[in-house]
Order: sequence, then C-alpha cells, then structure tokens
Amino acid sequence: MKRKISILPKNSIEIGQVSFNNPIWVASGTFGYGTEAPELVDVEKLGAIVTKSITLHPREGNPPPRIVETSSGMINSIGLANIGVDKYIDEMLPIYKNVSTKIIMNVAGTDLMEYVEIIEKIESVSSDLVGFEINISCPNVKKGGMEFGVDNSMTAELTSELRKRTDRLLIMKLSPNVSDIVSIGMGAQDAGADAVSAINTVVGMSIDSNSGKSNIYTTYGGLSGPAIKPIGLAAVHKLYQKLSIPIIGIGGIVSSNDVMEYILAGASAVQIGTANYRDPGTGEGIIDELNQTVENSKWDSVKDMVGKAKLLS
Amino acid sequence: MIIEKTIIQSNNQIAENIWKMQFESPQIAEEYAGAGQFVNILPNDDWNHPLRRPMSIASVEDSTLSIIYKIFGDVTEALSKKKVGDAIELLGPIGNVFTKWDSNVFPILIGGGVGLAPILNLKDQCHVADIDYATIIGAKNSNEQFIDHDPENKIYLTTDDGSIGETGTVMVPLDKIITKIDNPHIYACGPEPMLKAIHDFALKNEIPTQLSVESYMGCGIGLCQGCVINKNNKAPKEHSYHEKYSLVCLDGPIYEAEDIYFA
Ligand SMILES: Cc1cc2nc3c(=O)[nH]c(=O)nc-3n(C[C@H](O)[C@H](O)[C@H](O)COP(=O)(O)O)c2cc1C
Repeated sequence: MKRKISILPKNSIEIGQVSFNNPIWVASGTFGYGTEAPELVDVEKLGAIVTKSITLHPREGNPPPRIVETSSGMINSIGLANIGVDKYIDEMLPIYKNVSTKIIMNVAGTDLMEYVEIIEKIESVSSDLVGFEINISCPNVKKGGMEFGVDNSMTAELTSELRKRTDRLLIMKLSPNVSDIVSIGMGAQDAGADAVSAINTVVGMSIDSNSGKSNIYTTYGGLSGPAIKPIGLAAVHKLYQKLSIPIIGIGGIVSSNDVMEYILAGASAVQIGTANYRDPGTGEGIIDELNQTVENSKWDSVKDMVGKAKLLS
Repeated sequence: MIIEKTIIQSNNQIAENIWKMQFESPQIAEEYAGAGQFVNILPNDDWNHPLRRPMSIASVEDSTLSIIYKIFGDVTEALSKKKVGDAIELLGPIGNVFTKWDSNVFPILIGGGVGLAPILNLKDQCHVADIDYATIIGAKNSNEQFIDHDPENKIYLTTDDGSIGETGTVMVPLDKIITKIDNPHIYACGPEPMLKAIHDFALKNEIPTQLSVESYMGCGIGLCQGCVINKNNKAPKEHSYHEKYSLVCLDGPIYEAEDIYFA
C-alpha cells in the first residue's frame, strides 16, 4: 500500500550534526532491521528508522508466550531476539547502502564491555549508519540484574565510554521504570549524549482470568501503545525542563495529534512503535497529516512549537 | 503480501458462536497460494484493541475470500456485528500452505474450535482434486457443529458431551481409523491441547503430520518477533537465533509435527 506525499523540508529537524527530513521516526523493535517493511510501505519518507536492539551475540529471546494485547496497548517480553552484531555487519549494513532513509542502530548489552565491543565493531567497518540509540533498559548481569537505566552513574559511565568511541549520533534511550528519569537524562547529557529518547516500555503484567495463568512467559513484560502515551508525555515534559540536548518522544503515538502533543511537551522528534504492527505505514501517513496540521496551525514549523505546551499553573 | 481495503459480502452465524464472513478481496485472492494461509484482520478503527487478528482463509473463489471465526472476545464480537457492504482492512495473504496431499497419500483432516477454516479449505481442495480422505471435527457440543456426522463418507464428528457424533476428543475416531488406512497423512488445526495430542500421536506412530499452529500475533509480518513456537532442536548453539524458536508468521503457520513441540 503506497501513499504519495510531498516532503515539506520546513519540518526538517536537526539532532547533533545530523538533519532529518522530518521528525517522524520508527521505534526500535517495531520495524525489524528496517529491511522488512519496504514491501508494504515507502520507508524512504520516514525521518529515520531505529533498528531493533542488536546484541554482541545472537539471541533467541524468551520462550512463548511473548506478547498479549491489553486495553489500548500490548505487553511484550521478546527478550531481545536478534541476529547479533557480526551478522548485522555482514548482512544488514550492505543493504543500508541502497536505502536513503537514515538508519539508527539500537544497541543492547548485559555489561558495559558488551556495549563497547558492539560500537567498536561497527566503527571498524564502513557504514551509512547515522547514529546509535542505546537501550539501557537491559538487566546488567554483572550488577545483579539491575538495569543500567535505573542508575544515573551507570548511565553516565556507559555514555562516556561510548562517546569516546564514536562521532556518530549517540542517543540514550531512557526507561520509565525509574524513580527519577530526569536525573538519568542529566547523567546521559553530562557524559556527552547528543540526545535522549523516552520512553521505553512500562513494566506490566497480564493474567487470563479464566485459566488463572499469566499471559506472558516471563510474568512481567513491557507495556506499549496508546495506554502509555500520558506516561511518555510527562517524561518528555520533565526532561525538557532540565535538559538542553534534544529529546525524542516515544510512547503510544498513532496520529499526528499525538505527535503534536509530544512536540509541545518538548520533543524534537518522535518514534512510532506499536502502531507499526497494525499498519507499518502509520509513520508515512502521519508525515502527511503532520504537514497539513502544521500548515493549518499558528506555527511556522515543527521546530517552532517544541516545548510550547501552555501550562495552567 | 498487501494491505487491502475489502468489502464484506456476507457475515452469517453457521453454528453456536461460529460465524462465516466473505470479502471481496481481489488483490489478496490473486496472491493466495493455498489452504493454510491466513489474513490479518483489523475489525476496529479505534485503538482499544491495537492489534490485528490472524484468521485462516477458509476459501477463495475468484475474488471472494472467506474466513470462519469463533466469538470469544470483544473483537470477534465486533466482527459479528459487521454488515454486508461494510469495508474492512485485510493484510495478507500470509504464511505457508499444507503440502504433500495428493493421491499417493490418504489425508486425515482434523479440525477443532477456531481451527476449522484451514481444514475445511483443505477438505474442499481434496474434494476437487478427487482425493480420498477422512475428516474429523471436534467440538464441545452439537450446537458448535455445522456439518453432518457421516461415518459412511468418512466424516467423523466428536463432541465433549456426546451430543453428536462420538463422545470425546478427535483422538477417538483417529485411533479407530488409523489402522485401516494405507499411507495416512494427518493435517490438523485447532486448540493447543488438541494439536499437542495429535503431535504426540503422530510422533509415536510415525505418521507424517502437518499442524497449523495458532499463536498470539503482534504484526503478522515478522516485525515484532512475538509469535514464536518451540522448535524441536535438541542441540541449539550456545548463541543462536531462530534455532530454538520459529516465527509462526514468517515460517509457519504450518509445521511438520517433528519440527516443533508444545511445552
Ligand atoms: C514487541 C516490542 C519489541 C520492542 N523491542 C525493543 C528493542 O529491541 N529495543 C528497544 O530499545 N525498544 C524496544 N521496544 C520499545 C519500543 O521501541 C518503544 O520504546 C515502546 O514500544 C513505546 O512506544 P509505542 O507505545 O509507540 O510502542 C519494543 C517494543 C515492542 C512493543
């Protein structure tokens, strides 16, 4: 299903040194490696594609059941199933040479050295990747399973180690399952991140009341979809008050109005996740809608409205 | 695989809680490859239910495609309220097809519950191809059955309460007929306990068996990695990908029994 659109460059945005045709990206884990969906949609229109998390070694992921629909959302516990960085380099990077859409590689690891090794491997070959998004919502095996993303010193240390090893965009992806997302965002900023993205999924659970069984093998999973949009918006707004680097808004976006809300809350760009499962052309459709919405609004461009939400108190 | 806006041509109840819907769907019909494939259907425009629902294709005739669905939640309930002429979006056709059913084998087609569509589809195909076959359909009770119990013509119904056909599960007639058949091949689709029983039976008796598995699906196109099933791989590598689990949407929904297991 192809839709025709005209790109209005006035809705282009910059993050670090990179400019993007528009602020509509697709989120990690919801668009594969960026090479799967072109059969169905015109990915060239997207501002960027964030790949699913890549780890040092290939990973099978968790046993089934891995997903369940919940009210206005879904819970997943995929367990970072992916091909691993070596195969990613051999098989995906060459394909990206023929894709004009900007590709951001999402990286996950279970200890600091794993993240470092992945970045070093990627930086040792030539590629068209514009940057890395770092998934810090992974349990750190060395620190007793505590997530990097719940601790600001761990986040800062990871950010600065990676910053030393790449000049590409470095985006730290923040978890909402923390007591103070702003301090973690500050940790990332102070250690040299170009941007932060927020939010990853929210811890959730689902039980089948008939059988009494958990609907997810690992008991807890990550809630995503429209159900989490208010959580994402609040996170972005709080981060925007304190951070000077750009914020990429994620969580429950399905329409251009949702995008407007995130931008007004302080996002410079957004990522669409769960909505891609229903229609991988969601992003493409939103780009059309957004251009029209901005045209009809009092703002000149997306950039103008970043963080302009009017508060009542 | 395409996303097609289709028009509903009919939507009728055929048994208790079981409905059949027909769509005018020329593009998907054109790409359709055979019994076993499914479509991912989007019954609601709102986002209370974000995900599509996979539904096996029950038949394709010219540009008309049909599904058979069982009402078991809000989404299937909403589907049953759809009117002739309403538009509905389908993503498909998705998945692989039943194979090796030809006159050299004797297909035993087994369906139950929500797994009737691909089996009835294959039944029609066997009929058209003039292949001798048997059919076993399991249900809770007679109200959920909509074809006749007809052992003369090798159509066996089973019900949990014995209200029609044989009492018990599909394994009852299967046990009885299997010994009388030359070169049986089993083709089955239905709830997991049924598939598990058939799976174990097939392996024990070394009967070639293809199972159409149902799995909770996020996208149907390989993006979410949600719909996995356990692969029967005794020695996966320490670090592997898709050696322990198979993606039902891209690699299935039909598997040889020996290639998978049910936990
Ligand atoms: C099935 C699934 C898999 C995901 N996999 C990843 C992943 O590998 N890495 C990551 O950083 N985020 C992953 N996410 C999180 C999304 O990128 C996104 O942050 C989250 O879903 C919230 O956005 P949404 O409400 O638009 O889906 C995944 C989400 C889902 C639903």
